[in-house]
Amino acid sequence: MDADSDVALDILITNVVCVFRTRCHLNLRKIALEGANVIYKRDVGKVLMKLRKPRITATIWSSGKIICTGATSEEEAKFGARRLARSLQKLGFQVIFTDFKVVNVLAVCNMPFEIRLPEFTKNNRPHASYEPELHPAVCYRIKSLRATLQIFSTGSITVTVLKRKYTLPTPLDSEQGPT
Amino acid sequence: MTGRVCRGCGGTDIELDAARGDAVCTGCGSVLEDNIIVSEVQFVENSGGGSSAVGQFVSLDGRRQIHHLGNQLQLNQHCLDTAFNFFKMAVSKHLTRGRKMAHVIAACLYLVCRTEGTPHMLLDLSDLLQVNVYVLGKTFLLLARELCINAPAIDPCLYIPRFAHLLEFGEKNHEVSMTALRLLQRMKRDWMHTGRRPSGLCGAALLVAARMHDFRRTVKEVISVVKVCESTLRKRLTEFEDTPTSQLTVDEFMKIDLEEECDPPSYTAGQRKLRLKQLEQVLSKKLEEVEGEISTYQDAIENELESSRPKAKGALANLTRDGSVEDTTSSVFGEDDAEDEELEAAASHLNKDFYQEILGSGLSSSSEGAGDPEEGARPPALESLLGPLPTAASLGISDSIRECISSQSQDPTDACGDGELDLSGIDDLEIDRYILNEAEARVKAELWMRENAEYLREQREKEARIAKEKELGIYKEHKPKKSCKRREPIQASTAGEAIEKMLEQKKISSKINYSVLRDLNSKGGGGLQEEDAQPEGRTATRKLSRRKTPARRHRADPGTSVGKRLRPMVSAQPAKKAAAGEPLPLSPSTLGAEPARPTAVLVESGPVSYHPEDDPDEDDPDEDDGEPCVSALQMMGSGDYGCDGEEDDGY
Repeated sequence: MDADSDVALDILITNVVCVFRTRCHLNLRKIALEGANVIYKRDVGKVLMKLRKPRITATIWSSGKIICTGATSEEEAKFGARRLARSLQKLGFQVIFTDFKVVNVLAVCNMPFEIRLPEFTKNNRPHASYEPELHPAVCYRIKSLRATLQIFSTGSITVTVLKRKYTLPTPLDSEQGPT
Repeated sequence: MTGRVCRGCGGTDIELDAARGDAVCTGCGSVLEDNIIVSEVQFVENSGGGSSAVGQFVSLDGRRQIHHLGNQLQLNQHCLDTAFNFFKMAVSKHLTRGRKMAHVIAACLYLVCRTEGTPHMLLDLSDLLQVNVYVLGKTFLLLARELCINAPAIDPCLYIPRFAHLLEFGEKNHEVSMTALRLLQRMKRDWMHTGRRPSGLCGAALLVAARMHDFRRTVKEVISVVKVCESTLRKRLTEFEDTPTSQLTVDEFMKIDLEEECDPPSYTAGQRKLRLKQLEQVLSKKLEEVEGEISTYQDAIENELESSRPKAKGALANLTRDGSVEDTTSSVFGEDDAEDEELEAAASHLNKDFYQEILGSGLSSSSEGAGDPEEGARPPALESLLGPLPTAASLGISDSIRECISSQSQDPTDACGDGELDLSGIDDLEIDRYILNEAEARVKAELWMRENAEYLREQREKEARIAKEKELGIYKEHKPKKSCKRREPIQASTAGEAIEKMLEQKKISSKINYSVLRDLNSKGGGGLQEEDAQPEGRTATRKLSRRKTPARRHRADPGTSVGKRLRPMVSAQPAKKAAAGEPLPLSPSTLGAEPARPTAVLVESGPVSYHPEDDPDEDDPDEDDGEPCVSALQMMGSGDYGCDGEEDDGY
């Protein structure tokens, strides 16, 4: 299979993880008591807050660092993060929205063919690693793009990219076809 | 370090005699190891006052552990040497930092197993070490990557002889193995083996092979050998059943090899799901058509009823008469007698607004939000025939519908970088809803308290304990993974000074008669000091070793290598000993050297340990009273070095 047809395949972004700081100390107890949809994990010292509108789960630490997961696009992630900051502001904290950064993007894609994992691993030696005892997928790392792909034998591929710029389609371009 | 367990009696009390180079169990006396490598670690002092280890600390523990583990796996010497090489490479690349050495060693061994092709599974290693197999796997993957070693993929065929042997087929072992191998190859061709644990496949193949040769091996027996779950095995068997090969008889199978290949089972499962989805879509389309028909009937009925029923209240009537779409829904609502009238009014009002907005705005992005409630209105039209329908209001989503529409379409502009919160597109009202009011907050607090009562109680107890210990003055921060820091060797010009410094360092309690101690150079210590020193010694002991019982009788044992933690004690010990100038018969090794350099910088050369191990006289502090010759220094320098019996004699 040539690589061109790969680009035409649908890649669905399923998760975008972002972080931002509020630059102020947050009283977790107060958030936990007054927030409507929060889970307070006291033993690890964080609060989980779930928003409904952009479906987002945020992990809030008392230092003011917040990690937002569950968004389906980067804009949505930013939107959700801002909403979160706004709700914290309403709770009474002096929130400053700084250092917003998207750290991780997860996408799923499906190949119309199945893949022979052992041979694939053999042909892509340094990048691919396959441990059937541990995980049913081949873990293919592209260092230049900071991407990790998990390739399953059914043809579905999960791509995780450490965010620099939006380069999601390209890991598939450089991929080789099935043996 | 790995917990050393005696093979004979299972006790953990192992004595290491570096002089003789062996490890002996104190419980049953069996010798566990011979020829312990004696390359030791030297400690020198840095300019900053800390000490650093010089020498091949790798060899001492690493090689021994590798051999230990390797022997348990029955690896030959060549493999062990290779593993040791891997280990050295790993150490040179600093891969052992931050990882338990046991993990790294296991990973090295497994790497060797893979490269050599021995039938050892990662599971075996994790069984031996009692470690989570995924943790080991992580370490192993990292090691392979860092050392740039490509471990060849596991072939399930490698495991067949091993498992077959364990299943005890007697003379037919070879035949069964052969059959199982053929089955496995067939499975490979049929794409059953990608992404699966090789042991699971083996188990299935062996089970079938055994049955083919008239051996009764139950699933339970097989899984105990192969180490997979019963459901996994059954799944593999069913998958195999789906392949056309399973239809062949035994003889046919041995002779014929079917040409066609099958798709992998997960692929077929995926296809099945796809097909189901398609079916569902078709069904739903049909359903909609049917609904459409029914709703038209519905409308007809409604109109009839409307005309025949008494007039509704003014406001409601007005509402229900607006528009055609609203008619359907609101009349539906109107028909429902079981519902609250107020609810109805609210619902219809909201829906009216909602639909007006829909019709008015006609936004694409809101269509999705709108589409759902709209379609949600259709099935209710159907269900109203059957019973009370869930209106938007009763579902509680009317609010969110409204907010969906009002706050969705504005695209957030980029927030300015100076940290100001860009409020565009953020609906304050909705966020207000995220904040509970007083009563709710109270309820929630109570709930949370109840949930986490356990944890809170533990915290309180811990604090109370700490406070109490603080009062008693023996509070010591018990950090979870604290490794005992090396004390700097005491530099002193005289023995007396050394003692003082040591005492300062160790923060010994107030029960000691210091003045007497200072005169201990000349004396051998009196009984008075014994008792005084006794509790002190115990506390000192307690500080250093938590594993052994604190009330252990301490001995003046300078240099066992039982635990790294105890070495600082050791370093202090000889100083005191030398200072005391004890006329105790010293142990043949280092102690003899110590008096010769009483004021020297302490070098932790502790390969030797002295064992009087005949007397398991442990945990008996009172016995000290009956032994006049034990010096205070000895008491203070606690040594939990195994048996403490006759400290006074023989040293």
